[in-house]
Amino acid sequence: MDLTDKLIVLADAAKYDVSCASSGAPLRSSKGREGLGASNGAGICHSFTPDGRCVSLLKVLLTNFCLYDCQYCVNRRSSDVPRARFTPDEVVRLTLDFYRRNLVSGLFLSSGIIRSADYTMEQLVGVARLLRKTHAFRGYIHLKTIPDAAPELIAEAGLYADRLSVNIELPTESGLERLAPEKNGQSIRRAMGRIRLGVEESGDEPRAPRFAPAGQSTQMIVGADPTDDHTILDTAQRLYGAYSLRRVYYSAFSPIPQSPGSVPRQAPPLLREHRLYQADFLMRGYGFGAAELLPAPGNLPLDIDPKLAWALNHREQFPVDLNRAEAMLIARVPGIGVRNAKRLVQLRRERRIRYEDLVRLRCPMDKLRAFVVVQDYRPPHGDLETGLLRRALADSPKTQLALW
Amino acid sequence: MRTVFIERGFEDWRRQSRQLLQAGIAPHELTWTNGQAGSDLFAAAAGDDGGTPGPPRPTRVPRELPALLECASRFRAGDRWALLYRVLWRVAHGDRSAMLAGDRDGGELQRRIRQVRREAHHMEAFVRFRERPQTEGAPRFVAWHEPAYDVLELVTEHFLARLGRVGWLIATPDAAAQSNGVEARLLHPCPPELAAMARSTADDTDELWRAYYSSTFNPARVNAGLARQHMPARFWKHLPEGVLIARLAANAQLSRPHRSQAAAVAEKVGQQVQVCTEQARPKRPLPSSLETCRNCALWRDATCAVPGEGPKTAGLMLVGEQPGDQEDLAGRPFIGPAGRLLDRQLADADLRRAEVYVTNAVKHFKWQAGGGLPPLRRHRTPDAEEIAACRPWLEQELAQVRPRVVVALGRTALAALLQASDPTRLRLADFLGRPRWHNGRWVVAAPHPAAILRSEGTLRERLIGELQTALRQAATLQAD
Repeated sequence: MDLTDKLIVLADAAKYDVSCASSGAPLRSSKGREGLGASNGAGICHSFTPDGRCVSLLKVLLTNFCLYDCQYCVNRRSSDVPRARFTPDEVVRLTLDFYRRNLVSGLFLSSGIIRSADYTMEQLVGVARLLRKTHAFRGYIHLKTIPDAAPELIAEAGLYADRLSVNIELPTESGLERLAPEKNGQSIRRAMGRIRLGVEESGDEPRAPRFAPAGQSTQMIVGADPTDDHTILDTAQRLYGAYSLRRVYYSAFSPIPQSPGSVPRQAPPLLREHRLYQADFLMRGYGFGAAELLPAPGNLPLDIDPKLAWALNHREQFPVDLNRAEAMLIARVPGIGVRNAKRLVQLRRERRIRYEDLVRLRCPMDKLRAFVVVQDYRPPHGDLETGLLRRALADSPKTQLALW
Repeated sequence: MRTVFIERGFEDWRRQSRQLLQAGIAPHELTWTNGQAGSDLFAAAAGDDGGTPGPPRPTRVPRELPALLECASRFRAGDRWALLYRVLWRVAHGDRSAMLAGDRDGGELQRRIRQVRREAHHMEAFVRFRERPQTEGAPRFVAWHEPAYDVLELVTEHFLARLGRVGWLIATPDAAAQSNGVEARLLHPCPPELAAMARSTADDTDELWRAYYSSTFNPARVNAGLARQHMPARFWKHLPEGVLIARLAANAQLSRPHRSQAAAVAEKVGQQVQVCTEQARPKRPLPSSLETCRNCALWRDATCAVPGEGPKTAGLMLVGEQPGDQEDLAGRPFIGPAGRLLDRQLADADLRRAEVYVTNAVKHFKWQAGGGLPPLRRHRTPDAEEIAACRPWLEQELAQVRPRVVVALGRTALAALLQASDPTRLRLADFLGRPRWHNGRWVVAAPHPAAILRSEGTLRERLIGELQTALRQAATLQAD
């Protein structure tokens, strides 16, 4: 198999890991120096594929040979897919060639489990070591961490990688036991715990070697088992709290060639994944708790976004007077984000906020109108019945189609 | 009405606008245009009727304003200098809302700044270098790019940092930037021979990149509109993958059923990995029975169970409540902030941590997740059932170590050691300073180090004193 064929197989095999972020790395520069690459904290999307996803890193598996038989995974041992394996030098060459041409900002390397967890992790760490030590590569490196690998290997991975990630895979322990019999929730959590400790130790000690400065992330598959959004958000919130994750990624299960009977034949609606990301963003960026967003078992509504759903369930807190309310509460108004909340607070130090100002900030007025009071406006239908309001504000099926 | 000619970009505007401002000439009295004075037939007629500038008055503007104006000046629009002067005029006259997004002028200024920054970001993302053969000499990597605004100057540092000692050239329709591997030079206008070189260089890696791009795309999730929104179509013609975008999207929309796999992969011959289930299972060390304990539900949210630590022959055992945040991650007792406080108190009582056995009444961390920035991990006190469920593990440690003295750090530990059925009715204060002989060993009560960490002032001093007394008492009892 030539390099192009391997790349075709191993990029296809890696794409179910949705993360492609290159943000959070420390300031590094190769200006006037030997070596290649820079990072500055902000990520760059070098391209977008026609699925709307960002291409920021060269995302490949080292190999898609795998001993495990995770039912949801295209690379499981019982799957009839073409198999390939890169040599470490091939991955290094591809990374550097793509990097010099400004096609990517770095490498996201993962692998099927071959021989043993330790052996596999050693291979991944070996590539990162080559890039950093032999080629003085200062671009972004994201390494997938094999949960059962020895702590020393995880420690070495953290020296080279900007970000480490261990996939939680499924939101419940029982789901994992059923669909990924070789994996183990306990060892996944232990690996995440080790990474968090490593990150914090190196952060506390300024002269300590850097350890995964862009932190860790994880991925949960949505719709491979019947778990509802309530449980998913609860699990996500616990992971954020316990392991200081930068991100939880949600990946709508994609039916794969020759899907086994243990997983659904149908993909969940992509809109469900989208609503989970919105809810997740509200937890990370706005301080919402999972129980606030979804107080009872079940799924997030598909026809309205989670912030609007929350606001409709808490009409007593509205309308909010934008000339008086705290910034945190303003950011909880549907249609006003953290950034616009900040701008409004800035503006009101100079003068009173008027309706026209909201239009100028490009706030979606249809959504906003029922929830705010400003100098020259208060909602005429302040008491509009919640059901009617919801119907008026729901995404029409037409816009949903356009979205997806 | 008078006409102001801007010849050399922002610095020129800045110099002239400073004079105009000091002369008190209002925005509506001015027309701004690019070029040299005299190139406009009507300019002379419009003339310098503003008279000679009066005595210079110091203009005070917020420190961040010049940088904002400079950035906005890169936006290509007929009124670029006029808007800047209007904002400057208003701010200099005390109306700071002219800089803010909510204002009409400020909104336009901020919009232009956002557009310029976005365009610079687009340039950092979508410039595509091609490699020239080594025999052709410098620069090794060349790119042609067509930015919508004057952002080339904003991105040269970015590419210097990225490419190290590799020489490169970025050519655009009106300017070029060239690096020799140490610093970059800006060429204005772009020399035609450099433009021609940048536009004509081809490179084999493009093909490899297209292979990657097609494979990393998931056709089952096709959403061409979203892709276009992020990567405007005007950039496509200079991207190696540009030719693929429409084709991949169309094929994905036509194919039924929707497949995630790339077409080029589906065509290849597949292969199962032949291995039996037993061999595939990872060799994990046998979990200790504590690790697999399911006597209560606390394991579910915990990272791991935390067993006791210390010599199996220790005469003194310290029992805490439960592992905390750090202990839960590391799998060892008393290593967090409370552990450090305990270590200091042990040292003050002439005891060495290495000589005592340290454990907890409950072996899994009980906590609750909650909203907040960052999301919270809130400690919760274990209840009577959880203490009871975990007691066999504590009993086992007591039986193995057989300490003469046990210090109960806090009420939970005391309840576990005394087998109290309702820990909430136990008052730690009743036991302080009164060691109790129980089941063949001394039980000494002390406040928990974590309670000391939470307290302040005189209360803190009192609690430290109580812990110190208890430890010294325990040391004496152990020696008896």
